Amino acid sequence: MARIGVFTCWCGENVARHVDIEKVTETVAQMPGVRCSINYKYMCSDPGQAQIRDKIQSERLTGLVVASCSPHMHLKTFRKAAQTAGLNPYLVEMANIREHCSWVHHNREEATAKALDLIRMSVEKVKRDHELVPIRVPLTRRALVIGGGVAGIQAALDIADAGHEVALVEREPSIGGKMAGLSETFPTLDCSQCILTPRMVEVGQHPNIKLYTYSEVESVEGYVGNFKITIRQKARYVDMVKCTGCGDCWNSCPIKKNLSEFDCGMGFRKAIYIPFPQAVPARPVIDRLACTRLKRGTGCGLCEKKCQAKAINFADEDKLVVEQAGAVIVATGYKLYNIAKEQDNAQLSGYGEYGYGKYKDVIDALQFERLVSASGPTGGEIKRPSDGKIPQSVVFIKCVGSRDNAKGLAYCSKICCMYTAKHTMLYKHKTPGGEAHVFYMDIRAGGKAYDEFVRRAIEQDGAKYYRGRVSKITEENGKLIVRGADTLAGAPVTIEADMVVLAVAMRPADGVHALAQKLNVGYDEFGFLSESHPKLRPVETNAAGVFICGACHAPKDIPEAVAQASAAAGKTLVMFGREELTREPEIARINEQTCAACYTCVRGCPYTAIERAETLTPKGVHVKYTARVNEGLCMGCGTCVALCPSKSAELEGFTEQQIYSMVESLMT
Amino acid sequence: MIVDQLRELCARLLSEGTAQVVIGYGQAAPGKPAYPVFIRRAEDADQLVWNDQCMTNLAATLKRREVKALGKPAVIVKGCDERALIMLAKESQIVRANIYVIGVECNGAGRPAMAKCASCDVHVPRWTDTVIRETESQAAAVRTTPSSARYADLEAFMRKTPEARLAFWRAEFGRCVKCYACRQVCPLCYCERCIADKNRPCVIDTSATPKGNFAWHITRAFHLAARCAGCDECARACPAHIDLRLLNLALAAAAEDHFGWRAGMDPEAEPPAGAYSLKDKEDFIG
Repeated sequence: MARIGVFTCWCGENVARHVDIEKVTETVAQMPGVRCSINYKYMCSDPGQAQIRDKIQSERLTGLVVASCSPHMHLKTFRKAAQTAGLNPYLVEMANIREHCSWVHHNREEATAKALDLIRMSVEKVKRDHELVPIRVPLTRRALVIGGGVAGIQAALDIADAGHEVALVEREPSIGGKMAGLSETFPTLDCSQCILTPRMVEVGQHPNIKLYTYSEVESVEGYVGNFKITIRQKARYVDMVKCTGCGDCWNSCPIKKNLSEFDCGMGFRKAIYIPFPQAVPARPVIDRLACTRLKRGTGCGLCEKKCQAKAINFADEDKLVVEQAGAVIVATGYKLYNIAKEQDNAQLSGYGEYGYGKYKDVIDALQFERLVSASGPTGGEIKRPSDGKIPQSVVFIKCVGSRDNAKGLAYCSKICCMYTAKHTMLYKHKTPGGEAHVFYMDIRAGGKAYDEFVRRAIEQDGAKYYRGRVSKITEENGKLIVRGADTLAGAPVTIEADMVVLAVAMRPADGVHALAQKLNVGYDEFGFLSESHPKLRPVETNAAGVFICGACHAPKDIPEAVAQASAAAGKTLVMFGREELTREPEIARINEQTCAACYTCVRGCPYTAIERAETLTPKGVHVKYTARVNEGLCMGCGTCVALCPSKSAELEGFTEQQIYSMVESLMT
Repeated sequence: MIVDQLRELCARLLSEGTAQVVIGYGQAAPGKPAYPVFIRRAEDADQLVWNDQCMTNLAATLKRREVKALGKPAVIVKGCDERALIMLAKESQIVRANIYVIGVECNGAGRPAMAKCASCDVHVPRWTDTVIRETESQAAAVRTTPSSARYADLEAFMRKTPEARLAFWRAEFGRCVKCYACRQVCPLCYCERCIADKNRPCVIDTSATPKGNFAWHITRAFHLAARCAGCDECARACPAHIDLRLLNLALAAAAEDHFGWRAGMDPEAEPPAGAYSLKDKEDFIG
């Protein structure tokens, strides 16, 4: 006979405001199988949990229903409480009378009735729960970090310093990411490369870090603790071992006019090149689309002739390498919103009126970073792209693509307010007498020493801020005519500028969706990867063992990306600190006696968790073919349960009998 | 004559040991419906017949335990039967290499020809080990292939009002006695425990009440969606003459509309319900 305890929570006023808790408690006490029914203001608090523990023991409860918030929020809490009191944690059910009831129904009588229905269903469900034991899986204590920007570097170093091996995969020829190209960083104005490049060197030399540059993740198999990742090492045409990085090859290369990706198209590089002098690894790569030898198959070969180490290999091919890892950290970063050219998304329409791509002196923020950087194409002198003159008046436009539901993206890109203030400062410091004009929507400068920084730009360095948008930019007699509004003054503003810098929205990097699909990680409507819980699990994802950090998750600045990277590394280390992993046992099971071995479930499983198997007698004689669930891979999604025509697939904790009983309880 | 070739082939397969049993058609008397025969000795090969009474889908016999026990089979299939065979292979119920398939050209079975034959577009089986064809003159005489008319009956039915359609099915299902003949003859109903026999929980009312009958026929049709090869054996077997063909057609039309899929037409194609792809349409998700 079932002895169910029902614990109804007020959730402060969250539930109690619209649900008659007393009535619920009394009515529930009369339900068949319910041994005790009590309520408390905060069931999740220590005194609340203590009551649960006491009742489990004093009433010898066989099942528990907590009527409160969502299982997502507190199922673990209550399972732990049950376990402490000696009850199998999988005999705990939650009736969500907050999100599913009091938050959405404000008629007290109806909300109370619905709360009762929800509890009634849970009581019926818990009666048919049975004890489950977590599944144990072995663990590989190696991590894979995808993306070698500042976030990926931080995460890799943290894990490697803790004594575990890390494979770091970077798509570009060098690690460093976007930060390597920045000039100086807010709010302290320390030089970006001065703080990043030593970290890059550390990665390159760390005995625990295996670096895969110019490589991409090809496929991911396996599951938490036991991932098997195939990495595609793109043909570099340079032998990484033989090469000494002396530079004879790129100094001799005659193909000079290739736009430099690292300089955001503001400078040029050779066909064989290292992206920037401080690159890690300091080994060049041949751009196969630019190199005449690779294009034609014969000719040139100057680099090969000059190379004394015999490191050039024109016959190089992509290689596939397999890495084992227990955890994966995604740190793939961001790209900029495409301002004027073709959009990859039908909802975006670009900002053709700003003339980006048409007027040479309208540039984006990352291009400006290269212009002010000491390692940039102008050596840090701010010269405008069209004629190399020093601009005497620069207009900075914020929120280009951000916070624009009509043409761009709904979200705030978060860092533009700060770097625009920084840009005005750097410009003013380098150009005495120059004018910096900023068009903004709001100034968002939350953060340590951030608002002070913006005030400094305005008050000490004299940047002129206009609250308003720019409607159009035209070019007249070598000047850019910027027409905008100053909404605080209530007047239109026209500025004759020499250069315009657009603070363009941040978007997730290209290819992240394909990667997310390989890893079974969710992403939002803008393509940013989804965390498991916005507050309590900010670096975890819903794919166990996969963590995220940096701008692939949302727009963020360097300190935040680094903090998150260390958090992801920390979570990985927590995992690596365990003897073995346990997985929730609420997975699918196949009834091998009734399985007809049609293998529809095998083909339909999104996690490739079901295998073709054979039922054998204890002596090993074939009885029949059957489908079988791999406990390590099954995520408990229930696709097989829905697909199986003979209902031979069941989900533990959500059996068909349980669902039927729940539905039936509503009919009576 | 096809029948002579069939008998000769059957005798050869058995004497050479290519097959242990030949599954073909026998007949009590001319004009009577043909039934399945299981020939195990070469000298019995003359029991085989071939005429317009060979309506049974012999692929359905392959699922039976007692047939499996007879050893490697050679089975005679018409174009429509072969579609079921392909589906059985797709669903791992048979291993194609372990079966010798004898295809026979068919230009319509039954007298008058069955409804499916009017729009048949697989007169000649394609994935067989041997094909026995009629002479050109015989074939030309019978063949009618307006395959565009595949769903003509369904389209006519769908022009009725929803109320009229419901009334129709009420009357049809009202006659069902739950004998499950439709299930037993279906080549693709091979589950060892049918969902209709599951009792914890009981998904389909076991008694022949309107509720139980609706539940059974709708479940049966759904379970055959994008799988039914259209042999119409269920409709032929039904003692209550329920128009099961119409129900099957509705699901076949949906599979063709939404997924461009016709069951058993292409042995390489992946069935829509049994394949997970990242490119799967998600437009049904709000």
